[in-house]
Amino acid sequence: MICLDALSVDFDERFQLHDINWTIQPGEHWLIAGANGSGKSALAAVLASEGTYLAGTLSGVPDRVALVSYERQAELIEAERRKDDADIVDVISEGTSVAAIIDADCCDPDLAQTLIDTLGLRPLMGRAFRKLSTGETRKVMLIRALSSQPDVLVLDEPFDGLDHNSMAWLQDHLSALAEVLPMVIVLNRFDECPDFITHIAYVDNGRLLHRVDRDNERAFAELYQLLHLKTSGLEIPAADPTARLPALDPDAPLVRLRGATVRYSDNTVLEDLDWTIEVNQSWQLSGPNGSGKTCLLSLITGDHPQCYVNDIMAFGFQRGTGESIWQIKQFIGYVSTALQWEYRVGTGLRNVIISGFYDSIGLYTKSTDTQKAIADEWLALLGMSARADEPFNTLSFGDQRLVLIARAMVKHPPLLILDEPCLGLDDMNRQLVLALVERICLHSETTVLYVNHREQDRVPGIDNHLTLTE
Amino acid sequence: MANYFNTLPLREQLAELGKCRFMHLDEFDEGVDALRGKKMVIIGCGAQGLNQGLNLRDSGLDVSYALREQAIAQQRQSWKNAIENGFTVGTYEELLPTADVVLNLTPDKQHTNVVNTIMPMMKHGSCLSYSHGFNIVEEGMQVRDDITVIMVAPKCPGSEVRAEYVRGFGVPTLIAVHEANDPNGQGLALAKAYAVGTGGHKAGVLMSSFIAEVKSDLMGEQTILCGMLQTGSLLCFDKMMGEGIDPGYASKLIQYGWETITEALKYGGVTNMMDRLSNPAKIRAFELAEEMKDIMRPLYWKHQDDIMTGTFSKTMMADWANDDAELLGWRADTAETAFEKTPASDTEISEQEYFDNGILMVAMVKAGVELAFETMTSAGIIAESAYYESLHETPLIANTVARKKLYEMNATISDTAEYGCYLYNHACVPLLGDFMKGMRSDVIGKGLDVADNAVDNARLIDVNDAIRSHPVEAIGGVLRGHMADMKRIV
Ligand SMILES: NC(=O)c1ccc[n+]([C@@H]2O[C@H](COP(=O)([O-])OP(=O)(O)OC[C@H]3O[C@@H](n4cnc5c(N)ncnc54)[C@H](OP(=O)(O)O)[C@@H]3O)[C@@H](O)[C@H]2O)c1
Repeated sequence: MICLDALSVDFDERFQLHDINWTIQPGEHWLIAGANGSGKSALAAVLASEGTYLAGTLSGVPDRVALVSYERQAELIEAERRKDDADIVDVISEGTSVAAIIDADCCDPDLAQTLIDTLGLRPLMGRAFRKLSTGETRKVMLIRALSSQPDVLVLDEPFDGLDHNSMAWLQDHLSALAEVLPMVIVLNRFDECPDFITHIAYVDNGRLLHRVDRDNERAFAELYQLLHLKTSGLEIPAADPTARLPALDPDAPLVRLRGATVRYSDNTVLEDLDWTIEVNQSWQLSGPNGSGKTCLLSLITGDHPQCYVNDIMAFGFQRGTGESIWQIKQFIGYVSTALQWEYRVGTGLRNVIISGFYDSIGLYTKSTDTQKAIADEWLALLGMSARADEPFNTLSFGDQRLVLIARAMVKHPPLLILDEPCLGLDDMNRQLVLALVERICLHSETTVLYVNHREQDRVPGIDNHLTLTE
Repeated sequence: MANYFNTLPLREQLAELGKCRFMHLDEFDEGVDALRGKKMVIIGCGAQGLNQGLNLRDSGLDVSYALREQAIAQQRQSWKNAIENGFTVGTYEELLPTADVVLNLTPDKQHTNVVNTIMPMMKHGSCLSYSHGFNIVEEGMQVRDDITVIMVAPKCPGSEVRAEYVRGFGVPTLIAVHEANDPNGQGLALAKAYAVGTGGHKAGVLMSSFIAEVKSDLMGEQTILCGMLQTGSLLCFDKMMGEGIDPGYASKLIQYGWETITEALKYGGVTNMMDRLSNPAKIRAFELAEEMKDIMRPLYWKHQDDIMTGTFSKTMMADWANDDAELLGWRADTAETAFEKTPASDTEISEQEYFDNGILMVAMVKAGVELAFETMTSAGIIAESAYYESLHETPLIANTVARKKLYEMNATISDTAEYGCYLYNHACVPLLGDFMKGMRSDVIGKGLDVADNAVDNARLIDVNDAIRSHPVEAIGGVLRGHMADMKRIV
């Protein structure tokens, strides 16, 4: 059993892994997944004794760990180059031959020969290792690792750069090896995950965030989605070019409340609050439950009936002067748990997203082809393309939240209100939501109003804070 | 005051009854323009008053409330409703003289009194609006000549009127202009703008007449909508008790059964509701329904006749004058019935089981819907109106039974509907007595006891033909088709 206990590791002060807790039991085969730069290669390298330990322990690692990775490959090439430089004789060295490189670590010559043929390296055996192409070098690395009779095999992106036939062969070979040898594989593309993998480790920002048993279908699907959001190159879909919102005065605030007060016969929820939200000025609104956050938001969205007795300027309208609520809502995208409770419809996911163009719960109008196409782009971004017609109310709570965020953003509103978007979500779904919010914040020109009852939970990129007290 | 309907010659009576047209969305292109900038004052802030007011204000219109003095002085619920929702509240004297449109949303029973009080204060050339035409049609209220009188009647309880608007939709709405009071010919434009302000245009608007609205509304609510559900609940429960079914189960089967069964009705009419049964059960339900229709037909005719002649409203108004003695007595009796007093158990009943074990309930819905529709149309009410007042509204009322049984249903519907419902129930329970003696738990409580679902082909074809060719199915198909264009895409 390999055991990483509260392990923190430094890699040349360039990168650190933090507080890794991970056990690999006999019989388990792990896939390490994560976005680029998340630390998944570093975690794999730790198993091959790389890095400087800052804290914690690593135990149970067997003697012979074979690691195939770009870093190892680069090191070997670098070493070959240095040999050249060290040679001061004027005969230009060809460097070590491929055959010699393979021989160096070889414990199973028969296997090595088979591999050389299978991967089509036979004609290159006499060549200098450092003259090979990247793909060829990678094959050599694989042959070295596989024929070294390791106790554990750690492969970082083993299928990269392999042609179709080599890849198919390697996959079969690994499946067979899995019977006798524990394996840890790093992959960028989740859909290449080999069948023998039993567990998935998800790394983000130098931390091991999730360990998922593959038999847990739900967790597996969520992780798939998270990776998709983190790693797919898809952009936030554009707004509908045929539907222009009325222009807003760029110098006027989006919203301005003066002396906002909400009072019932037996209690006062808000008193004399002034607040101005300028264009492109994202805000975080915090405060304990019952401090009036939702009430304040509903004054802005127009859902609170007392918005008509307050001095509120919203999107160029002084409230209560003959504007309709739909003229206000057209400028706002809105997500909250309450909305989710309200949205109990059996409408398909595509239509739920399209309903964001109309600010309606459910869809009551025939949608245009452009709207459909945009909704489909959002579904692709969420990794839900195949589920466009699934009824919304059969989705998991976390998936519903993602779809509602897409619905709120679909028209690229000038103001996006996220009222506790992570409330009620488990850790994985929180990360899914945050990954999506992060993408939205980075990409669009929408001003974000993020509501969170814990002031400490700050969102990167939001510098204005308003805290309500009880 | 004379019954207005009875003052008209037959030819005009028929013309008014026959008025009903499903309006197209593009007829509402002007939106709320006809009301923009006009001062709308609502009298009464109850279920309809508050919720219609919230919608109208959110549509950009100027809304305030005139309440009777006691309501303001005692800060009654109606006053709180208006104040906490940020509306201006004032007395009649303060608000009415400057009002352009006055919305009378007080209980029907109070209309004569209220309208007589407010009329002298109303501005010359202003508009008076109702959400139900009883006062005009049955009580013959005479409104000043210069005042335009219109009706905008949402076909839903007030809470739904608001909830659907907030979702971006609306509820089906009936509008009408009182021919005798349309001095400048502006009635229709105002009614249309008002329907847009409440969101009704999105769900479908029927252009009708005061007379058609009242005569069909009364008929529907007394018979199939409330009466049949009440009678059916009581009879089916007592039968199941006699058959040894667990009381908690029986209570649940009925309380939620109406809602489940009529949900199928809402989506695909009587045909779809019947199709949810197995073939042998369908044939059985069909036969039971035919039998009940023959038994109940004279009762449906009597209700319609009494409504047409004004006998019904006269009887009810006599009870109003007698401090609602009958109504309150019947209400108390209902609370004491075995069905009402037996709580539903928490046994799981699947959606399909409500059909399989509730064959008699399905038959009752079919019989009631078809009879009410047939009776209304044969009395000169146009098929569109008859459809809305029978089949269309049945699921809405069934929802109220699901919430809290008959108590909830009777609390939600108007006093007028409640009164008519009890009248029907008192006649219908004994009328179905002999028929019910022949019923067993196979049609209510347990489901058919058959070895397999074999049926005779010819018989099944006959039964299916009969179900599908009923006129309520023809008009239902057309109207649900219209509605689907505008309705939520489910
Ligand atoms: N309920 C429905 O499903 C429905 C559907 C469509 C149409 N409608 C129609 O809508 C109208 C209103 O019905 P509703 O159900 O909304 O009634 P409601 O909930 O009983 O409300 C009636 C309001 O009128 C006030 N009121 C009562 N008596 C009054 C009087 N003598 N003078 C002045 N105000 C009085 C009450 O307040 P105070 O007692 O505090 O003054 C209350 O706020 C009726 O015409 C009804 O037929 C109802």
